[in-house]
Amino acid sequence: MIHHVMGVDGTYPLLLTLWLLPLLGGVLCWAFGPQLKTAAGWLASGALLASFVLTIVAWPTATQNLNGAVGAHQALVSWMPGFDFGLLFDPLSLIWTCIITGVGFLIHLYSIGYMHGDRAFARFFAFLNFFVFAMLTLVLSDNFAGLLIGWGLVGLASYFLIGFWFEKPSAVAAARKAFVINVVGDIAIMMAIFIMIAKVGSVGYGDVFSHVAAFGPTLFAVCVCLFIGAAAKSAQLPLHTWLPDAMEGPTPVSALIHAATMVTAGVYLIARCAPLWNASPDAQLLVGTVGGLTALVGAILGTAQWDIKRILAYSTMSQIGYMIMGVGVGAYEGGVAHFFTHAFFKAQLFLGSGIVIHALANEQDVRRMGGLRKKLPFAFFAMLIGVLAICGLPGLSGSFSKDAVIQGALEHGHPWLYVVGVVTAGITAYYMFRMLFLTFTGAHRGEIDPSHLGMRHPELVGTPHGDSHSEHHHAPAWLMNVPVAILIVPTIAAGWLLFGGGASWWATFFATTFAPETLPAAPISEMATTGIVLLIVALGFLVAYLRYGRMGDAKAAAEKLRMETVHAFPALTNAFYFDAALDALFVRPAAWLGALSAQILDPHIIDGAVREIVHLARSLGNGVRAVQSGLLRAYVLLVVGGAVVFIAYYTLIGVHR
Amino acid sequence: MDLTVLPVALGDYIGLSLVIFFIGVAGIALRRNPLIVLMSIELMWNAANLLFITFARVYMNNAGHIFAFLVITVAAAEAAIGLAIVVVVFRNAKNVDVDDVRILRG
Repeated sequence: MIHHVMGVDGTYPLLLTLWLLPLLGGVLCWAFGPQLKTAAGWLASGALLASFVLTIVAWPTATQNLNGAVGAHQALVSWMPGFDFGLLFDPLSLIWTCIITGVGFLIHLYSIGYMHGDRAFARFFAFLNFFVFAMLTLVLSDNFAGLLIGWGLVGLASYFLIGFWFEKPSAVAAARKAFVINVVGDIAIMMAIFIMIAKVGSVGYGDVFSHVAAFGPTLFAVCVCLFIGAAAKSAQLPLHTWLPDAMEGPTPVSALIHAATMVTAGVYLIARCAPLWNASPDAQLLVGTVGGLTALVGAILGTAQWDIKRILAYSTMSQIGYMIMGVGVGAYEGGVAHFFTHAFFKAQLFLGSGIVIHALANEQDVRRMGGLRKKLPFAFFAMLIGVLAICGLPGLSGSFSKDAVIQGALEHGHPWLYVVGVVTAGITAYYMFRMLFLTFTGAHRGEIDPSHLGMRHPELVGTPHGDSHSEHHHAPAWLMNVPVAILIVPTIAAGWLLFGGGASWWATFFATTFAPETLPAAPISEMATTGIVLLIVALGFLVAYLRYGRMGDAKAAAEKLRMETVHAFPALTNAFYFDAALDALFVRPAAWLGALSAQILDPHIIDGAVREIVHLARSLGNGVRAVQSGLLRAYVLLVVGGAVVFIAYYTLIGVHR
Repeated sequence: MDLTVLPVALGDYIGLSLVIFFIGVAGIALRRNPLIVLMSIELMWNAANLLFITFARVYMNNAGHIFAFLVITVAAAEAAIGLAIVVVVFRNAKNVDVDDVRILRG
């Protein structure tokens, strides 16, 4: 078969360098951690900055267009026909690389301040750099096998970083859960790759996408397998349960891995496989529906959380639901755009919450915050911008991309998903402003006894309060403030790349990646959608303001929060029982199977068979040993007796029968 | 095959050979003195020799004679080694009973 390669073949030393620099930084931080001390942070950040600058320098190679081949293709290793590994740098990879290295650099810089004084400072940066390398492998690979390698490695890096504070049992459990669920996705992608090898004989993107017809009826199976992988990585229903738990990791990790980059790998995968999804309307419907449901469920669960990072985690899940819905229904530019803007405002929200958590010595419960606007004006400002962006205030980045997704669902003929998107936008506004009001306005509730806030003792485990960390070392504040300040700029401005509909910079940029299609005009214009969304968002804001914006003094507020905690819906506090369902469906049967094999299969059947064989050999040996008497005369008799039998056989019965 | 060269019937030669052979076997199997055992082995060799010579005559083929000489040579060597072993065993055990050599078994 003809070997199809996407992109212009050639040698691109810049591309190789920007790919390998984070690996080099990670290895150096790992090997020389004790010697580098705090320099490890600067080394790791420097590697990322260099990588980001090289990405910008290499920009033109990603957009070059030679006879329809878009981007740069660098062949690296050739295993056997159909199994070549190389790097592909096209507009889609470029956007992801920009976010991974650019936002990644800012978060590295922030981490120098946030992780100041941690005893595994260098290890943290080694893992962060390793994560970036793995993520770059994922998005730069030119084939599914390389993508799967990157896919597995980011899961591993995520495991390391969620469990970074491994003295905390909850962090270890969260890391293990995330890893196991991610491996479920890895296996699903592996299944898809097996089908590709069977049907196309190659795992290269170019080969697979030019032979979509070869899949026949198995195309839907391929899409489903790929989507299970995407759902596990991107926290889509019902494989999302690891994401809120993953907040056990340090806050910069939550910002980098569990908001801006890794969890959007599923969006990348589906956008990359656009030719497969375009050919399978069933898969589009499935992915769009799951994405929309995830957006809605994530937003609803976000309204019932008290941990500031868990609020943001459910918000991330909900926003990724938007992205998946966008790329699922075929509005690829919209979905990718929402990834692009979300990376900025969600990183900013997480880093802002990190400033709050850092200032309160690891307090994460919003019930014990309040009134921090005076104490942390910069964090308040940054998070306000982030909240406005995620709610979709016109002019800020989130409004452009979110409206593009919602409108895309309508244009591609999914009115129900449109409704879900609009409703979710309202709930989003409610829970984001709820978080903002609880954290920054009203009276400070830090001195109130936790039991007066309705908090039970188990909730206090792992959330030490103020004074326990009195000797906490503080890094210079600018180290944490500067990255957040820089992120404010794209949080406000990045959406304007989408301004202008079909003629916008964004649409032109991706015109060669996703084939432009002509769709019938939607019944509701884009302006009207923006208006509807804005109305719903205003409603959400109003409810949040009425409930949390004016709660009176600390005592009255505490009583209100206590009542709300006590009277919370069990379904919401138990996250719709997804954990319990997964536990009952998979974890407990697996544990039961394990116990069965440990108590019956292993000791009685496997060990039993071995023991029986040993016993047989031993009794056989005992029988034969009796013959070896050492008595010379007995041997002679045996020899003679044997000879007599032998001769008698041949003379009496004979060889001629 | 020419049976006229034999003064008595062929079966008598074979029968005599078998008798001598089994006297040897019985000697090994029943006696415990190693010297008697060695002599019994000698008897078995010679029973074989007798058959070699008989059939060499019958078939007019000298290979049988040559084998008989070979057997005599090997028997002499075997007797020498056998006696040496008997001497060594006697020196160690102060006794020459073949059943006592059982201690050599594994």
